[in-house]
Amino acid sequence: MISIKDLSKEFDGVKALDGVTLSVEKGETFGLIGPNGAGKTTLIRILTGQIAPTRGGILLDGEPVDPLESSYRLRVGLVPQEPAFYGRLTARENLVLLARLYGIDKVDSPGRITSLLAWAGLEEHAERQARFFSRGMQQRLSLAMGLVHQPELIYLDEPTSGLDPEARSTLWELILRLAGEGSSIFITTHNMEEADRVCSRLAILVGGTLREEGTPGEIKGLLGADRVELRLLQDRSADLDAICHRLGLSWRREGETVIITGLELPDKLPEIVSGLAGSVRNLHYREVTLEDAFLRFMREAGG
Amino acid sequence: MRGWKALFVKDWRLIIRNRLLLAVLIIYPFLIMGIIGAAFYDVGRPVPIGLVNLDRADAGETAWVGAQAASTAGLERRFRRRAVQVEEYGGEAEAVASLNAGEVSAIMATAVLDEPALWMGADLSRDEISATLLDLKSEAETWSEYATREEAVAALENGEDSVLVAVGEEDYPYIGETIWLEGENYDASSLVLRFGQDVTEIEEYGSESEARDDLKQGRIDAVIVLPRGFVHKLKTLDEIAQVPVVIDQSNLVKAEFAETSIRGFLSRIKEGVVENKTEAVVAGLHILVTGGDFFGTEVVGLEQIRENLETLKRALQDRPDLQETVDVGIELADTVISDIEEAAVYLRGTALPIDLEISSVAGKRLSAKDAVVPSLIALSILWTGVLCGAILMVIEDEEGMRIRLGLTEMGAFALVGSKLLLATAVVFAQSAVMLVLAVAVFGVFTSNAALALLVIAAASFSCIGIGLVIAAFARQVAGAVILSVLVSFPLIFMTGAVFPLSQMPTFMQWIARAIPLTYAIEALSGVMLRGETLADVAWQLGVLIAFGVGLLTLGSLLVRRRSA
Repeated sequence: MISIKDLSKEFDGVKALDGVTLSVEKGETFGLIGPNGAGKTTLIRILTGQIAPTRGGILLDGEPVDPLESSYRLRVGLVPQEPAFYGRLTARENLVLLARLYGIDKVDSPGRITSLLAWAGLEEHAERQARFFSRGMQQRLSLAMGLVHQPELIYLDEPTSGLDPEARSTLWELILRLAGEGSSIFITTHNMEEADRVCSRLAILVGGTLREEGTPGEIKGLLGADRVELRLLQDRSADLDAICHRLGLSWRREGETVIITGLELPDKLPEIVSGLAGSVRNLHYREVTLEDAFLRFMREAGG
Repeated sequence: MRGWKALFVKDWRLIIRNRLLLAVLIIYPFLIMGIIGAAFYDVGRPVPIGLVNLDRADAGETAWVGAQAASTAGLERRFRRRAVQVEEYGGEAEAVASLNAGEVSAIMATAVLDEPALWMGADLSRDEISATLLDLKSEAETWSEYATREEAVAALENGEDSVLVAVGEEDYPYIGETIWLEGENYDASSLVLRFGQDVTEIEEYGSESEARDDLKQGRIDAVIVLPRGFVHKLKTLDEIAQVPVVIDQSNLVKAEFAETSIRGFLSRIKEGVVENKTEAVVAGLHILVTGGDFFGTEVVGLEQIRENLETLKRALQDRPDLQETVDVGIELADTVISDIEEAAVYLRGTALPIDLEISSVAGKRLSAKDAVVPSLIALSILWTGVLCGAILMVIEDEEGMRIRLGLTEMGAFALVGSKLLLATAVVFAQSAVMLVLAVAVFGVFTSNAALALLVIAAASFSCIGIGLVIAAFARQVAGAVILSVLVSFPLIFMTGAVFPLSQMPTFMQWIARAIPLTYAIEALSGVMLRGETLADVAWQLGVLIAFGVGLLTLGSLLVRRRSA
């Protein structure tokens, strides 16, 4: 649906983004993860027309597009990092205002706003001033405000930042529902676990440069396979060679710990344990996470 | 125009639901106008003045005179020479006791450097006392008359005076005389009370120190000390009557009011005296022509002399040579009579050379409250306009809504335009209510209220522009308020709202020309107080609108640049 080609942005000679190229397909939930200062918010600001790129361009459905153009703005929605609404307006008034500014018909807007309030779980609080809402409710209102005009693509800039676990969980549920309804979602986040769960594709941005892009599984795969860590009562090197050869695994020793790596490790665990019968003092199975992958890329960037 | 109405309604709700904004933008200007208006409502009240009358002869009272004299030894020598016998005293108490007991009619004290004062007394006649005082005056570098013994002795002791003379008030020359003015007889006090009654509230004090105490405590605004012989000097006009006046200049406005009032009524007294004198001289000249009582002497008038000469001439019909001599006398009499009549006319003109007939360009005399209202309204426009413009723009940043609004389909100028419209409406409505209140409730004069409303609208527009520029430098409402106050406060003093522009230095006048409020005050004063028409204030209106457009453009550019 939207493609970014070789996008760069400099602020006073400092590169905030350097040749970023990526795309978000229709109905896809795309996650952009990266440390603070990686350039995630700069990218969102460019994509929402707040600032112009130094180089590169944006394609919408394969055609170059200016983010300030009405045809683009009406197809995208934004949920900023900090909840954005008028605190002294009620939830409904905030939504009505945006509906007016998006030129939504006065006849259509009440129904749309009521359903949005219900979708965000705010129907009982519709007539309360938003400043009295909890942080979670405020972020849900902010999300609903980004959806007033039914955009095809929604930019979410670290939407769960600063929320407690319950509020964060509720918001992720809403985002999942949104993805399930067929909207395209471009989301920046620090939360690796939830990005892994929600996003169909991910990219890692470090220092303004895109490091990796792919499905969560692909990215985790880049780090290597899952692994089993063993402590043995005696040296069983010969048995380890035989077992690993038979199961298509590999092993190495790190101090007193034996590390076995390879694919489909969970299914092969019973054979490994029976092959080393009587010698296993303890065993620890460890699955590779997105956070492992992210930290590895960070270390690589740092080193 | 898409979105203007929605944004306008939204901003209005944000103002009325925010108590702080409501207070700062809507209520505060009314409060300030009320306070300043109340201060000017009764500005024309009489100025409280303290009067110390030393020109009064009270039996048994002592008149004290002090001087810093060049030669105290010479004064002492001449005092001794006039007296049959001179008493010397051990100190002030002994000398005063002797005077009060009638043993002497005058005492003199002389002090040289740090030596103790020499006190002496003598029984002098009124003429000798008069001569002693004249002698002292001729030697005096400074001359002071005291109402009390304590004040006089203190001046001698602290070195302000080197000579003191004390005599019974009944012996003091020319003290306590009265003057006939405008059909009534006045002594010094009643003269000042009568002529100062329109502009002052006079309270009499027994001594200058008492009056000065009240002046320091703010109970009165000035102290007038009428010197001994004040009325005598007015009557004779052979010597200037010096009237010491003490004013409190810690408050310049109060001091200015007091000095102007005192100068005003003393000038009226002087004019009255001169007029009386002139009339007396004119009457005397008339007596010289017609004959009668000429300042106590019965004189034959020039007309009678001329008639006598005519009779003599007729009697000398057979002596033409003598008739010619008589003719010369008649001719001289005619010339003198004619010259005296011309002199009388000239003197009358001199006595009353100027008579003011004051009228106002507004068509009626204006009061302080009339004059202050245009400036008050202009200040209210500045305050609300700048704050409203700045706050309404900064709210978008504070709520994080500027980005979100930028993605909507609102019109290109909807954001700035709707705020400008709302701020103008608020400022205009507020100023219009102030104007109506001032006119309808407080009876303030305005010659053209409709045109004043037009000026208010233009002034609102330009002041809101200042607020929009300020908004480019603040991200929170609190910051916008602080910046607005920092900018507005100096403008109040640089635009003629407080001090008249014409009284400021040239460079300040140039600075004032770069501030829209200056033109707002000029135009509002013009249409409200000077009866100016639309054509008269077209320049100011044009400048105000130009300022508004310029500042609006600048503010928009600055906000856009900051966003980028």
